[in-house]
Amino acid sequence: MTDHSPLERRYRRWLALYPKSFRADHEDEMVAVLMQGTDPDQTRPRAREVANLATHGLRQRARGGRFPSNWERAHANIMFPIRIIIALWLCLLSTLLIGYHRGELWLLLLVPAILLHLYIAYRIRPSAIPR
Amino acid sequence: MSKRRTMQEASFLILTALAGGSQHGYGIVTDVEQISSGRVELKAGTLYAALDRLTADGLIEPDREEIVDNRLRRYYRLTGDGAERLAEEADRLRANAHAALTRLRPGVAIS
Repeated sequence: MTDHSPLERRYRRWLALYPKSFRADHEDEMVAVLMQGTDPDQTRPRAREVANLATHGLRQRARGGRFPSNWERAHANIMFPIRIIIALWLCLLSTLLIGYHRGELWLLLLVPAILLHLYIAYRIRPSAIPR
Repeated sequence: MSKRRTMQEASFLILTALAGGSQHGYGIVTDVEQISSGRVELKAGTLYAALDRLTADGLIEPDREEIVDNRLRRYYRLTGDGAERLAEEADRLRANAHAALTRLRPGVAIS
């Protein structure tokens, strides 16, 4: 680990953006690919290569370095329609409250709650869960 | 889970590269560049995101490892599922290309 070239050390620093589990699996082979793609007199990582590492490293980190388990996928599939139904129910409740002219204060609570349920439903929509 | 998503071009080209036999990371990069006539230059981040995903999906698997010049070379190979999925995707692309070419050049027979 101590006799890495300065270029390799720089690449490894960027690879630190990846989650630990991903690095344990792929860091050494990624360094091999990165180093094979360099010119003999190159001392600094290429900007496009670094941008690519940063994007994918952070993306892996955002998904916790692992793909969702079957349980998480099943949970998201069940919760998606439930979130939508709750949002629709709250919309109905808001309409009733407005109808009885009691909506003003309640809407301060209900509207953010509706938006939150819809946002969560959007985040766990079936097409958003990686296979 | 009902309908399969369209495969990304990088994944398609990586599977195509591995259809010719097992290869290590940099071998895949150069092969994909050749297959795509220099159009697709895979970066390390993109390559390993795809390899990790394709392995998780069971379409490819690690084959063997070598140490060359003190560096790890892990070879990947296509699985049976991977070959099947690549063939399906190639058929789909051929059908699309055929439809496009038929409409662009009506009356010209396309093989």
